[in-house]
Amino acid sequence: MAKAKKQEHERRVLILDDEPDYLATVCDCFRALSEGRWQIDTAASAAQAVERLKTEVIELVVTDINMPGQDGVQFIGELHRRHPQLKKVIMTAQASAEKRDASLAAGADLFLEKPVSAEGIKSIFEKLSELLDWKNTQGFQGVLRSVGLPDLIQMECVGQNSSILELFNEQPLGRIYIDQGQIIHAVCGEIFGERAFQKLFTITGGTFELLDFEVPPEHTINRTWEVLLAEALRQREQLAQRAQVSGKNLAADSTAAEPVGQTAEMLICSAAGEVLYNWQCADAAARVTLLQAVAQRAEKLIPELQLGKLDRVEIQLPVGRAVLQPRADRLVFMRVATPPKP
Amino acid sequence: MNADFKAWFAALPAIPGMLACGVRQPNGKCLGYGDDKVYPAGKIEKLLKQFGELHEPLAAAELAPRWTTWAFEYGHIRFVPRADKWLLLLIVSPETEAARALDRVANDFLPPTK
Repeated sequence: MAKAKKQEHERRVLILDDEPDYLATVCDCFRALSEGRWQIDTAASAAQAVERLKTEVIELVVTDINMPGQDGVQFIGELHRRHPQLKKVIMTAQASAEKRDASLAAGADLFLEKPVSAEGIKSIFEKLSELLDWKNTQGFQGVLRSVGLPDLIQMECVGQNSSILELFNEQPLGRIYIDQGQIIHAVCGEIFGERAFQKLFTITGGTFELLDFEVPPEHTINRTWEVLLAEALRQREQLAQRAQVSGKNLAADSTAAEPVGQTAEMLICSAAGEVLYNWQCADAAARVTLLQAVAQRAEKLIPELQLGKLDRVEIQLPVGRAVLQPRADRLVFMRVATPPKP
Repeated sequence: MNADFKAWFAALPAIPGMLACGVRQPNGKCLGYGDDKVYPAGKIEKLLKQFGELHEPLAAAELAPRWTTWAFEYGHIRFVPRADKWLLLLIVSPETEAARALDRVANDFLPPTK
């Protein structure tokens, strides 16, 4: 009953496949199974799909892998960067573990084998319906899968990209300008600069989109993106803890001025061990030694694990937790203590 | 290793997205499940030892973890040490049922907190 109610509003779905007969069959079946609730657009190539996405508000994109021009995995990767809130599914007749891993790594939410029976189509439809119904309850919608707002900013900065990250709820909330990997400007309502950047990080319940870069009206941020991000994450964590203690929804409290302090520490050091940023870390030298030791030992494990690069280490402590992020040129460490019980 | 534990552990590979899992007893004996090519038993045993060593500097720095999660590009590793020297290692694909079950499995493995 609940599911039927959820699906009452019309869903916008875009399906890509270069086999017209297959495309027509699947679309007809999905339309019938959705009892008219799915409005389905089609495209025979990634280029056609991109054009559709410029003019239509689409919730879900389902694509084949083997297509003329850009293949489905590359297309999903591009979509994931440009429209992180969009739900993306790969559906292929030639499923393999390698393709599955590549698809999920590129940002697909689901990797499915093309159905070959009516029962299979129904099963796929149900999976896609579940995905359409799935919503994030915290943070920005881009948190879908593993890519959240901090991840996206990191990706843009590490990749030395230039882009504008627009955050919006029912209406635009603000923008973060990234120029060749550096955050140079942020605006949130009447607020500019670092304060705007920090405020955008504390707002929940919205979504975000990556836009092509345009030169901002002014440059209001000078500090490095690592420091900005570290401080923003710390403040967001503290706000979340405070909200948890007080039982409030963070979204309802997004205009709060300063977070209540919680025991925490943060340290960023260069690969050589030079401390670049220290917040409440009593013995920075000891922490640097620890970070280097863990990062070096982990580095040795990477080749035999065959799991790709190490993104982060999350440490669940008896009280609180810590995160260690090893990067090529620096190490980031943050520890957050659990707030005292009221 | 009692029958209940064996049954609990033997059920782990069936969780969708579980690539490998291993457990090490205080006497050094290991039990592991995983793909024979990528994660043969010997490799799981070695990883249990290596991740145990990775925890040593954390414990020395007063960051003794209940568990750690190592997030790689194509997989996550959860390592859970117990005070009685039992060790659990789980390797999962991200964004799968196994990844979502990591906390539950780790809490099942750990003795209940008072």
